[in-house]
Amino acid sequence: MIGRVLATIPIVALLAIDLLLPRLEMLRQGPDPVARADVETAVAKVGEPMPDFTLPDLDGVPVTLSDLRGHRVLLTFERSVDW
Amino acid sequence: MPYRALCGLLGAAWLVAGGGLLAMFVAYHAPGGRSEGLFSTMGPQGHYMAAFAGCAIVVWGCALIAAAWRPLEARGIGAASALGLVLCAAYRLMAFVVGDYAELGNLLRVEAGVFLVLALGFVWLRPRAPGAAS
Repeated sequence: MIGRVLATIPIVALLAIDLLLPRLEMLRQGPDPVARADVETAVAKVGEPMPDFTLPDLDGVPVTLSDLRGHRVLLTFERSVDW
Repeated sequence: MPYRALCGLLGAAWLVAGGGLLAMFVAYHAPGGRSEGLFSTMGPQGHYMAAFAGCAIVVWGCALIAAAWRPLEARGIGAASALGLVLCAAYRLMAFVVGDYAELGNLLRVEAGVFLVLALGFVWLRPRAPGAAS
């Protein structure tokens, strides 16, 4: 009997946390802290030059935006199947 | 009787779920095969780990069915299953707090709640050891 009661305590505690979690929104994190930090400091604004960045192309070769200065640039962001 | 039903039903569900994870691995690596929807972001490594989890879940299901068949002889499976369900619920609650799984919303909390209720069932419905004091 004592063993069952002792085993019940952590289960009920987790159930209480489960029910209380929606009230603790401040604990919830964003998708990726690093990405969010980047977003806050490198946001592209309408009418202003695009912040410079380097990203891999489809072949994995790094491409820097400033290297394409003078050319027309179309940016597309896709989520690959294996990502 | 309720304990046998609990073991039997969860055991059958685990056999289906574990078999599904193994089938997902096979389908992913079949010629031209790719996963879709929720599992499309797992990649080869994710499918590899999912298949490993599938094997473990199939064994868990078989053990539960054995416990449904002979509950007194397999009392330990009930206790182990309660622990396993608590662990499953605990990491779901952690996943709910971590934003990477935000698209799953409250499904994580609902699953955790169901697992915890099932764990309580295993704790309290499990037959007592023969000769144990009540």
